[in-house]
Order: sequence, then C-alpha cells, then structure tokens
Amino acid sequence: MTKVFVSAVIDAPIAKVWAKMRDFNGLPDWHPRFSRSHIEGGLRSDTIGCIRNFDIAGGAGTIRERLLTLSDAEYTMTYCILDAPLPVEGYVATLKLYPITVGDQTLGTWSAEFKVVSGREEDVVDAVANGTFGKAFEVMNELLGRAR
Amino acid sequence: MAKVYRSAVIAAPAKTVWDYVRDFNALPKWHPAIATSEIEAGSPADRVGCVRRFTRRSDGGLLREQLLALSDAERTFTYSILVSPMPVANYTATMRFTPITKGNLTLAEWWAEFDVTQGPDADTVSDIGDNVFVAGFAALNTHFSKK
Repeated sequence: MTKVFVSAVIDAPIAKVWAKMRDFNGLPDWHPRFSRSHIEGGLRSDTIGCIRNFDIAGGAGTIRERLLTLSDAEYTMTYCILDAPLPVEGYVATLKLYPITVGDQTLGTWSAEFKVVSGREEDVVDAVANGTFGKAFEVMNELLGRAR
Repeated sequence: MAKVYRSAVIAAPAKTVWDYVRDFNALPKWHPAIATSEIEAGSPADRVGCVRRFTRRSDGGLLREQLLALSDAERTFTYSILVSPMPVANYTATMRFTPITKGNLTLAEWWAEFDVTQGPDADTVSDIGDNVFVAGFAALNTHFSKK
C-alpha cells in the first residue's frame, strides 16, 4: 500500500476555502489539471454515493470517483477512484481542512492510499501528491489568499 | 457545556514538536504559566491513567490532571482535570499536532470541553483559549525560533 500525505497553509478563513472545495462537481472550476465534470445520474454533488465524471485537462483521459463521505462539521470529504488512467487499485483519498485560529487561516490536508499496479511508484506518487493535491492548495492560496 | 478551540502554526517539523511536548510531565519546560510538575505515584509520564500534579507560576495554584489517551501515531493526547483553581468541571482537553508538508511546519491544535462553575462562560473560554492555549503556542514558537 502506498500512502501520500500533503498539507499546506492557505491564507484565508476556513469557511471560504471549504465553500470552494466541498463541491464534488467543482474541481474543473478551480483546479488547472482538470476540465469538464458532471455528476452521473443527475444527482446533486453532495449526495453520498454520487459519482463525478471528469476529464484530465489536455485530453489525458477521464476519471470517475465516488463520494464516500462529506462532512460540513469536520470540513472533510472522502472518495474513491472507480476508473482512471492511473495504474492504481484500491485508491481512497481524504481532503480535510483545519481552522488555524491564530491568524484566521486554514490548513489544507489531502491524503490517499492505493496500490500501484504498474509503472514506477514515484511517478504515480508525484502525479497525485504534487500534480493534484499540492497544486490544489497552491491554487486555493492564489484564488483566496489575502496577499492577492 | 462550553467549548474552546485554538490552533496555530508552529515553525518546526511535527516530529520535533511532538518529541518536545508529548512528555505529560514537561509543562514547566515549555509552558510559561506553569512552575513545577510531577507525576504522582512515581508513574511513567506516558502511562495512560497517570496523574500530573503541577502548579501555576502566577499564584502557586495546584492542578491535577489525568492522562486519558496518548498516541504517537496520531501525535495527540487527551487529559481531564481532577483539581484546578479555574472555575471548571467535567473538563476534558486534547492536543494534536499535524504535519504541514509545505515548509515542514506543524499545525498545533488544542481544544477543551467543560462546564463553567462560576461567572460568564465567555470569560473562562477566552481565559483558557488565549492565556493557556495560545500562550502555549507562542512559547513553542519562541522556543523553536531560538534553535
């Protein structure tokens, strides 16, 4: 089992960050690595069990993920991959935000566990940790951070 | 039930911060409000159930607190107050330390739930939140910035 954990401070209040990140159908609205998304079967994106169907930007394939947990109380969501152009099995990921009361900022944490079934493990880890998770927090800081 | 939650970034890696604060007998070493501490009955400080007996620097006030949970895996510990000069009852608190991979820093969180036995809830909440919890975070940052 491979584990990935990425976390970063976002210079914005947790309510603003969560409002943007909690939409399970909203990834392409702000994450440059992804384009086009819809929820299968016409479900709302906060329905537990719903499936998001979205594209990697630049025509690199389609990903389907199922929402397993969504908590506005804990600022957390958990989901698993159903189909993806990634050599992984048993992929489950969790996004969780923590309020930083001193300075009114947010800690974003994003973790995943999965099995790499082919190719180089470090390439998969890099795509997940840096290309997806780390990039997400960078973008959040650019969109919502006070320095902007 | 009153609740208080405070959190802050500590400018040191999570392992470094955890190694420094996980000792349930170490409050005088890192918290500016605490003068002395001992673990009762000669118990190790990482034995769940042990009781720390310590005094406040300001007035020598005595506190006794019992360790309810300690996890090196989650970098967290939970304790309850047995005796305190503060106007609280049924007090349980938790500290947790989460790695911030970008910059190799730490998120320190400290929260508590309790009943206030005298005076307005808000006064005790802000006293504990700011003078105990945030003051503790500030002391940790001062300590690690000197290293």
